[in-house]
Amino acid sequence: MKLVSVLGAVFRRDWTMMKRYIVNSVSTLVSIYMIFILIFAGLQSMSGYVKTGALEGSLEGTIIGFFVWTFTIYAFSNLAWNLTNEAQTGTLEQLYLAPCGFKWVAASTLISDFVFSFVPIMLLLAAMMATTGKWLRVDLASLVPLLLITLLGAYGVGFALGGLALVFKRIQALFQIMQFVFVGLLVIPMRVPAAKYMPLVLGNDLIRRAMVDGVRMWRLPPGDILTAVAVGAAYLAVGVAVFSWCERVAKNRGLLGHY
Amino acid sequence: MSMSAGALQVQSLTKVFRDRGGVAVRAVDDVCFEVKRGEVLGLLGPNGAGKTTSIKCILGLMRPDSGRITLFGQDIQAAYPRILGKMSAVLEGSRNLYWRMSVWENVAFFSALHGVGSREDREYFGYLLKLFSLDEKRHTEVRKLSQGMKQKASVVCALARRTPLVFLDEPTLGLDVETSLELRSVLKRLAREEERTFVVSSHDMDVIQDVCTRVVIMSSGRIVVDDQVSHLMSLFRTRAYRIRLRGPAPQALEERLTQEFASVRVTDAETDAEIRVALSEDGDIYRLMDALRGEDAVIDEISHEEVDLEKVYLEIVRGERMRS
Ligand SMILES: Nc1ncnc2c1ncn2[C@@H]1O[C@H](COP(=O)(O)OP(=O)(O)OP(=O)(O)O)[C@@H](O)[C@H]1O
Ligand SMILES: [Mg+2]
Repeated sequence: MKLVSVLGAVFRRDWTMMKRYIVNSVSTLVSIYMIFILIFAGLQSMSGYVKTGALEGSLEGTIIGFFVWTFTIYAFSNLAWNLTNEAQTGTLEQLYLAPCGFKWVAASTLISDFVFSFVPIMLLLAAMMATTGKWLRVDLASLVPLLLITLLGAYGVGFALGGLALVFKRIQALFQIMQFVFVGLLVIPMRVPAAKYMPLVLGNDLIRRAMVDGVRMWRLPPGDILTAVAVGAAYLAVGVAVFSWCERVAKNRGLLGHY
Repeated sequence: MSMSAGALQVQSLTKVFRDRGGVAVRAVDDVCFEVKRGEVLGLLGPNGAGKTTSIKCILGLMRPDSGRITLFGQDIQAAYPRILGKMSAVLEGSRNLYWRMSVWENVAFFSALHGVGSREDREYFGYLLKLFSLDEKRHTEVRKLSQGMKQKASVVCALARRTPLVFLDEPTLGLDVETSLELRSVLKRLAREEERTFVVSSHDMDVIQDVCTRVVIMSSGRIVVDDQVSHLMSLFRTRAYRIRLRGPAPQALEERLTQEFASVRVTDAETDAEIRVALSEDGDIYRLMDALRGEDAVIDEISHEEVDLEKVYLEIVRGERMRS
């Protein structure tokens, strides 16, 4: 099947690239870890001060927040930056010449990005847990589907902004800011009205329940899971629709390769 | 019914770019041409003529305003993107390749997108790398190659997809003389041995004259010439004259000639003047003689000018510019 061979090729490309950019990847992870250490130190001095243990729960929350945030950033920036970079260098046009259609090349890239970022981010999680001595429940059978559900929203935003940046180059300035928007989304408490209809929020909450309380995925309220899937899928659909519109405009104005 | 001999048919292709002020540029204006199977077509024209735009419209990288494009009997729009399996391209000014991957990794990746990657295909990749003397560099990252090698690697990457139609937009840019010769011989060989069809755009007339059997010349978005190279050359050969005078050309003669013949060029070769002129009508030779006699010029020698594609091309483009 041709689609599978395209997926395989994309995997090989990304594996090669990962090896070539290993220093970058490691230093990104290390800096995320450093930030975490700083926050952890801050939390510790605060809890030492308060003494009541009121902040107990927030340490786990912070670890999970960092963990999900890192995944989100990877998902979003791989998508948006790669689109922009490839348009500038010219490889995007070559990808658009794939007989399976660009959409499948993009989907393959998402899948491979997820797979290749999984191991390093799990290592980051292990490092965070080892540093704090807080061991969370890591049940992959529950975690992976929940992560994917959560990331749907990030992919949607990535498609939308990546597409918009093809047409309006200035949009790139938003890419950096999105990291902070994601932080905001990940710290919104569930009691805020309509929070669960925002991207990432409900998924993040489900991951928390699975990792802190040790609830297996199939024990989580099906209504919540369905809502999370529906919300994620909706954001992804809107993102893809925005992207398709931008692609049309880019083809009209000849912007797929603006080197 | 669909023409079995045709590789590519372009009918009334039009692409208009509008900028924010509402000014419209007709980059490609009602262009029609055909490419036969196994043909190497040269696409020529001055900067901004619309060559790249035409190529990108055919490839579906730009959306044309109107037009119908048929590839091996199939309507491109109806069969998109599957139809891309039949064409590949080296695009002008772009990287075309991942610079952080090796030549081989690039070739393997882009071919795999086209579903090409069997053992036999891989042997073919090796064959291409040898043809382009890139064999030793196959495991070198593209960014570490010289400009010309990068260009050759992009060409290999396009050819490796084994598509029956290949577009090469400015493939010889940045190639030294020897490498350019090498590319030409490879293209001719592939066209002959594999019956592949090429559309080559270049400003290097030596390349076009060497590899192309037919040329399409564009100017301001329109096709001004669509002809066999050999026919075009013979057409111009019979019309281009070089006349050597004994002694310098009088001022009055030069003025009279430039008035009567658009394409005339008078050079004072130190002592003996030389007149180069392309005559467009049968009676022109008599008018020329009359002018020479009228100004008392002594003719030393008359010969047919050596024509090459570059001269022909310049003549056509200049004439086109005068007309508009
Ligand atoms: N993306 C674009 N947006 C607006 N105008 C464009 C765009 N691309 C090309 N044009 C315009 O269309 C016309 C044709 O350009 P094109 O690049 O097709 O020329 P070309 O024949 O390939 O020239 P060159 O020999 O310089 O490569 C030019 O006037 C150019 O300014
Ligand atoms: Mg061009």
